[in-house]
Amino acid sequence: MKFLKWNQLAHVGEQALGQALGHVNVLAGRVMEGTLRLGVTGLRRSGKTVFVTSLIDNLIRGGRLPFMDVIAANRFLAARLRAGPDRTSPRFSYEKYLAALTASPPHWPAATTGVSQLRLALRFLPTSPLRRSIQPMATLNLDVIDYPGEWLMDLPMLNQSYRDWSTHTLELTEHQPRRQLGARWLHWLSTVTPDLRPDESLAREGAALYTDYLHACRRSQSNLSLVQPGRFIEPGELAGTPLLTFCPLPPGNGEPRAHSLWGLMNERFEAYKSMVVRRFFVEHFARLDRQIVLVDVLGMLNAGPAALYDMRMALTACLEAFHHGRGGWLSRLTGHQIDRVLFAATKADHVAASQHTNMRNLLDMLVSEARNAIRFEGATVDTLALAAVKCTETVTTEHQGRKLACIQGTPLGRQRATVLFPGSIPDGPDLFPENVSQPYRFLDFEPPAGVGRDGRGLPNIRLDQALNFLLGDHLA
Amino acid sequence: MTNTSYQDMGRPASAWQAPVELDLHHPDPAASPAASAAAGSAGHQRNDTAGLVALAAWPQWSWAVPAFLGGLATLVLVALAFDATDLMGRSFASSSVLGVLVTVVLAMTVGTAIKLALDEMISIRRLRHIDSLRAEADSLARANGHGSALAFADTLGDFYAGRADLAPALHALGHTVNDAHSDAEVIALIDRQVLSALDQRAYRCVLMASRDTAIATALSPSAALDVAIVLWRNLKLVREVATLYGARPGQFGSWRLMRRMLANLAVAGVTDSVGHVAIDALGGSLAAAISTRLGQGMINGLLTARIGIAAMTLCRPVGFSADNKPNLRRIRSELMSVPKEVL
Ligand SMILES: Nc1nc2c(ncn2[C@@H]2O[C@H](COP(=O)(O)OP(=O)(O)OP(=O)(O)O)[C@@H](O)[C@H]2O)c(=O)[nH]1
Ligand SMILES: [Mg+2]
Repeated sequence: MKFLKWNQLAHVGEQALGQALGHVNVLAGRVMEGTLRLGVTGLRRSGKTVFVTSLIDNLIRGGRLPFMDVIAANRFLAARLRAGPDRTSPRFSYEKYLAALTASPPHWPAATTGVSQLRLALRFLPTSPLRRSIQPMATLNLDVIDYPGEWLMDLPMLNQSYRDWSTHTLELTEHQPRRQLGARWLHWLSTVTPDLRPDESLAREGAALYTDYLHACRRSQSNLSLVQPGRFIEPGELAGTPLLTFCPLPPGNGEPRAHSLWGLMNERFEAYKSMVVRRFFVEHFARLDRQIVLVDVLGMLNAGPAALYDMRMALTACLEAFHHGRGGWLSRLTGHQIDRVLFAATKADHVAASQHTNMRNLLDMLVSEARNAIRFEGATVDTLALAAVKCTETVTTEHQGRKLACIQGTPLGRQRATVLFPGSIPDGPDLFPENVSQPYRFLDFEPPAGVGRDGRGLPNIRLDQALNFLLGDHLA
Repeated sequence: MTNTSYQDMGRPASAWQAPVELDLHHPDPAASPAASAAAGSAGHQRNDTAGLVALAAWPQWSWAVPAFLGGLATLVLVALAFDATDLMGRSFASSSVLGVLVTVVLAMTVGTAIKLALDEMISIRRLRHIDSLRAEADSLARANGHGSALAFADTLGDFYAGRADLAPALHALGHTVNDAHSDAEVIALIDRQVLSALDQRAYRCVLMASRDTAIATALSPSAALDVAIVLWRNLKLVREVATLYGARPGQFGSWRLMRRMLANLAVAGVTDSVGHVAIDALGGSLAAAISTRLGQGMINGLLTARIGIAAMTLCRPVGFSADNKPNLRRIRSELMSVPKEVL
């Protein structure tokens, strides 16, 4: 009966240990909180604000994320909003956006004009027995920020001198449709030389014409993405300040005089870089752990080959700056690495679900260079097609004797739901048929009436898979 | 920056269909959710599940054997019928009370015999049905299609219709699956939301059974008793697992399942050979190496575990995916801790 005694002894020991650990738990539960900064990256109107709103709503309600492992395994306890870590920047007004989306009639959020942030605390049960014995409940603080997509285009400028930037911008303007959109500014350029006296009113005139040109790029049919500097379009709190009064000048050969128009513009460009761009990115982008890049491929297909090409160039340029794995140049400012990047084609609900594979393949093709570069640096990359807020249903209809996978929903600006075949996404590299003038017309949709009323979170497509990829390992 | 030119993206697309709006004002009455449109796509009935020996593929006897058995059975039946009528006639002759009694007993015997036979037939039918479900799920998960898996989910719902323990999970599944999920995603959802809970329970059954056999073999005084215990326990385990997944095998059905299980041990994802298991078992713990009885106990336990896992693989209406394959590792480590508790 020696065995029994030993057993009892062990049991007593176990209890004592359990109690001791119980005390530690109380402390550890507070102290040991993980933090994860998620960078939501995307050009203008790519769906950042809607994505963040849906992410928060779905994590708080937890009813529509079956592919998140922590939820499927019943280990997720709850999520709660907290104040962001940075007390100086405004809070992301999740409640306002959600209220607008679920109002009747529902509204999409307006274009974002400034930066905002929010922290979401996620409580869950860890899987590993070891971790559970120290800490039965774990907390992960998820930090997200939202900002105008235009500002992202400032990022590549950080790595350029005024001369480089001017050369590059002027090169771009040599091609249509930019050449025509910038005609007035180009005309002005032909009337000035960089060696002119540094005249404030001249600088203002140039900047104003250049800003008009940038606005025209945005508005034009071709919906161009590579529009720098971003604050000229979306100035935030900087509207009217001298920081925004510069524009590219044709670099002459040889060094221009310091006391000249060139000198003035150069100085402003450098000030813009250090006081606006660098500060913004160091504050908000430097310490990212995970990144999701939202790409509106449907909008680009609508806008045509020039827009698609432009977007591809813009994305590649922006992503170069992030520190993925080892060795991005933003790392000089920080020591942080992004170890997982997800490229997501947004607004997947604008096409029938059977098109999602093609949509994903198209995205794969568009971001292939950036993706390979990030992989090379050692970060994990994935792509998928998602919709942060699902506004349509896929239905099958008969049309001229053919079975078509269509969608049913209310197109933007209309009152009633309709069934339509939105067009299909090509499954090869040949995107634009030559003989058709505007092959793609993917419509935008209104959020469905009464969306999110069931309290399970906003309906979505593959948000769970996206979150599982981005956060899953931190919730294990 | 990219060097691709505009022209790279401007070549003609092959089959291009212009966008159309089908009906502006009232949604087309012909428009139906993708699911029901695809309900007819039952072209997936394949009977050979990847790597598993199909039920029909059992040793094919020549025509003579069934003919002989059938003839024999008919003769016996006819003889029994004659005997029965004779018996009845004789009982009625002696007393009508006795006659009625004998008739009632006879009727009951015949009735239960028929019921047993029917049960066996149904159980075999269910096993076949599970095979076809698994084949269908497999092809759906691979095909990269869309819309057909909802019909499969319905079929599975019907299959588990009477199961109160699965009702909440099936109900929840109906809520989570929507028209945007691809077939592979629907199958994955069925896997995680409905079947993974069953897996946990099955796993527990396997664990208990392998412990039982391990301990029984280690403690039993005679080899003959071992064999009997192990055989009985394994049969019980197969029945438990099969019942859990809805196969409900009868007596005969479990024997069949058991034989099939043995034939499948090598292919059902349980790849390590018996020798390997033995080495594991012996090398795993000093106690085992010292005592051959203990070693045998553990080998038997692991064999039982393998049979249980094979049963899980064969009775699951959706095949295990790469990331949730049941593994021997956990069972092995549990078994290693048995001897210390027993002694
Ligand atoms: N149907 C559908 N439309 C979406 C979805 N996400 C975004 N949209 C549409 O895209 C528009 C832009 O989305 P936003 O989230 O405001 O885009 P953003 O990236 O924040 O844009 P900026 O703030 O200008 O940078 C919305 O007004 C919607 O019309 C989605 O998940 N589904
Ligand atoms: Mg926004």
